[in-house]
Amino acid sequence: MIWQLDLSILTLIVICAFATIMVKDLLSAAIIFGAYSFLMCLLWTEMGAVDVAFTEASVGAGVSTVLFFAAVHQTTRRVRTRKSGRMLAKVFALMAALLTGLVLIIAETDFPGFASPFTPASLHLSPYYITQSLHDTNVPNIVTSVLADYRGFDTMFETAVIFTAGLAVIAILRRYKRDDRCDLPEPYVISEGYPDTIIRFIARQLAPFIQLFALYVVAHGHHSPGGGFQGGVILGASFILLAISYDSRMIIGIMSERLNILLGNIGVLIYAGIGFLCLLLGANFLDYSVLSKVLPATDKIMARSHGMLGIEIGVAIAVMAIVISIYLNIISHGKYDKG
Amino acid sequence: MDIVVIVLTVIALLFFFATTVGLLRFPDFYSRMHAAGKGDTLSSLVILLALVLYNFHEINLANLLVAMKILLIAVFIFMASPTATHAIIDAGYESGIKPWAKNPEEESP
Repeated sequence: MIWQLDLSILTLIVICAFATIMVKDLLSAAIIFGAYSFLMCLLWTEMGAVDVAFTEASVGAGVSTVLFFAAVHQTTRRVRTRKSGRMLAKVFALMAALLTGLVLIIAETDFPGFASPFTPASLHLSPYYITQSLHDTNVPNIVTSVLADYRGFDTMFETAVIFTAGLAVIAILRRYKRDDRCDLPEPYVISEGYPDTIIRFIARQLAPFIQLFALYVVAHGHHSPGGGFQGGVILGASFILLAISYDSRMIIGIMSERLNILLGNIGVLIYAGIGFLCLLLGANFLDYSVLSKVLPATDKIMARSHGMLGIEIGVAIAVMAIVISIYLNIISHGKYDKG
Repeated sequence: MDIVVIVLTVIALLFFFATTVGLLRFPDFYSRMHAAGKGDTLSSLVILLALVLYNFHEINLANLLVAMKILLIAVFIFMASPTATHAIIDAGYESGIKPWAKNPEEESP
């Protein structure tokens, strides 16, 4: 921790946050929000939370910025300036915000000091994870073992939440009939554009390497920062890159909507299925150590490691499918998106 | 070795500085992107090279692997950054941004 660096990054973060709200141009707001995410990522790296920083870089700065762009491209770029709202409502909102802040500050005094070594969590739980993780699960990256094993139940429902988000986007945006698409504003099209050879070539060359890197992130999450969520997002991003530089129709050709939803289902199913497999073998839900009975050449400890790998793969498949399907649903109203 | 690292880092920082100055001072969209694209790519490459050398305090397999990864990042930047610059400039050209001319009345070809 270098406090000068911390301070400057934090200042920039606050500036970015205000700029995101104040800027009238929504596209600029999306870009500034991406910068905000990257600064958060820097801050987390600096605090030593590399896994969180990785997630922020891939999800917050990467994919969500692209999704914002797609949404802006489909709707409108300008903020509708509202004539000065009612004074009473504004005062009420200010009062509500102040009151909530006050309550939070009062509640905060009951908490133990920030990162105090004397809280119950730091006294019992964290030392156990830090000292026993390698011994219990044979996974050097503590974050992965905590995420996928010690609190695997939690992570399963995180995957389910992402899956539900994808379903919600499909339910809201997807239109099967053609006749009810009328009262959306026409997307502002910069120009139809000619196919750009350079961008297409580079995107085509880079995409396999990005996918390879994503698989590495998934599989190597036991030893280095990374895991199912980040790997899945990177996999999805490689498809989105192709969709932007070519045409979303081409991606629909590779990953049809049916296949996407199927893959999302399969991903969540792999996770839950491994959990149920543990139940069937006579242990608790998601207790991977019992998997050593079915996996050849493993003892109980390696089985936990392999079980984690299995669920990470499930998470990656689900996240990839959902990211692609959200992008396609947002963009599918447009005809041709230019890099 | 340390001296080489320091020299490379200083060179990279100089390029970054030039990029920033260019980004702020150039008159129009195209020349600004020109400064950003070229300066950014080169200075990132130089600073990554400095990191590779800094990594080699002692030569062993782990350090070699880290160096390989950094070099792969350099290759990625070398491909992706000019392409991104090209894409932005292309989009600007197609949306009809006029290049800057010293004399606004004079039609630029």
